[in-house]
Amino acid sequence: MAYLSAYQYYENGGVAPEDANWGSYQYVSLKDIVNNFMLMYAGNHSLVNNEERYKVLFHAKRAIQELNYDAFKEIKALELSVCDTLRFVLPHDYVNWVRISLYKDGVLRPLTENIQINSATAYLQDNDCRILFDASGNILKPEFSDIDLDRITGQKKSIYLNKGSQFNGLEGYCCDGEWYFDYGIGARYGLNTETANANPTFRIDKQAGVINFSSEMAGEMCILEYVSDGMEGGNDTLITVNKLFEEFVYAYIRYAILNSKVGVQEYIVSRARKERSALLRNAKIRISNIHPGRLLMNLRGREKWIK
Amino acid sequence: MINSVRNTVLSVLNKNNYGYLSPSDFNLFAKQAQLDIFDNYFYQYNYQIMKENARQSGTGYADIKKGYEEVIDLFSVTNDLTHIADNEFSAPSVITTGDDYYLIVKVLCYDASAPPRVFKGEAEKVHNSQITMLLNSMLTAPSETFPAYVLNGSTITVYPETFDAATEVSCNYIRYPNPPKWTYVTLTNGEPSFDQTATDFQDFELPLDDEVDLVMKILQYAGISIRESDVYSFANSEEAQGSQEEK
Repeated sequence: MAYLSAYQYYENGGVAPEDANWGSYQYVSLKDIVNNFMLMYAGNHSLVNNEERYKVLFHAKRAIQELNYDAFKEIKALELSVCDTLRFVLPHDYVNWVRISLYKDGVLRPLTENIQINSATAYLQDNDCRILFDASGNILKPEFSDIDLDRITGQKKSIYLNKGSQFNGLEGYCCDGEWYFDYGIGARYGLNTETANANPTFRIDKQAGVINFSSEMAGEMCILEYVSDGMEGGNDTLITVNKLFEEFVYAYIRYAILNSKVGVQEYIVSRARKERSALLRNAKIRISNIHPGRLLMNLRGREKWIK
Repeated sequence: MINSVRNTVLSVLNKNNYGYLSPSDFNLFAKQAQLDIFDNYFYQYNYQIMKENARQSGTGYADIKKGYEEVIDLFSVTNDLTHIADNEFSAPSVITTGDDYYLIVKVLCYDASAPPRVFKGEAEKVHNSQITMLLNSMLTAPSETFPAYVLNGSTITVYPETFDAATEVSCNYIRYPNPPKWTYVTLTNGEPSFDQTATDFQDFELPLDDEVDLVMKILQYAGISIRESDVYSFANSEEAQGSQEEK
């Protein structure tokens, strides 16, 4: 792919969308990766020879997927409002979550993952607790389980110290001449810090593909930060990799092919593996952006007085 | 070159009154000889690559592989493939592209929905046994950036199926050399005289340094034809010696 002119970069050559090429110089496309590999690392006089292009493509994509999971630090963010069902459907390119936040009153509040389950599937049962089936032998299920229904209707109590807490709203009580109130007033001894959070909670149901929130989240705005696998919904033209990882991707492909090829001497496979690992380390260090300015910012906190 | 080859062949054949080769027989043998040598170029090319990998070949004037590449490239042709239906196209042939193909080098895919057509990607040859799995693969399914094709008889099927119109697929291939034809006019005494102005005249397409090989090949066929084992043995041993020297 040819280099872009300044006009193409800033204005996309006068064609909408204007921002199509902004920042594109950081990345190298999958097409370039595969082309470059076939030209430079495969052929009559190379270690990799007589390999189909689709194998190179497969390993290139696998390398990009692996990089997206942890090395790239390319976090996607999606903002959606949570309706009365208290559900947030995971994005189509979701692989794993990084952080889930409530956006309210202009403040981003990171939410805590509920350590208890908050959703379950239920089977219909008769009075003898026998499971009910339809004519085809399928188990009959209600639309919501009790725990789901309670959560959605706000009946479910929470072990977290938020509005759903079992103590929330209770009147104070007197014991040995001392008044004890809800957690909002006075001291609280034996606090479980893990659950001491006033924000709504969530739990991810991976199989169902949804995030289930506690009832305080109804009608609120949620921001999900997550990582994808970089496959861009299968559109090969959009798949890119940061240039800092370009050499690693070549090394990954080379190693993957040599490792699975019969008759390749072990020392060659070993050399390819070491090269891959070293390049990954280098790339991770580079992308971590350790430079004097950042170190200085961190070191400034060193002299801070702690009361 | 064809007249020179024929004169040499006839000269050897007539030396001891072994026999005479008619123009039609010569043309048949010439075609066969040219195909033999043409085919051998690919094996020689591969042999040279193996020698290179074993670090047994040189560069510059000693780069034998380069010479073979140049000869093979003489037969390299790029043509648009004729669209049959949907994503199916005709493989190169005399009827569709003007030449039969010896080897498909690459298949190029374009988006021709609006002129000028835009190059999308080079299609990869995939075996019939793999295309179904490939199409069902999330990561390696053919896309417009990385298309694939399979060959069924004389039909090339291109994937993804969006390549489905004329001028959307072109092909670079190595064509077969045209059959040589020594054309002549018959004089009054019955002796054929070479006439290269005839419309169906076709010279050999191989380079000049193949003249000796062509003569030897044709002599072998002629020796068998006229049942003269001496001619066949002579040509055969000459050819074997030539091949040995080239290695």
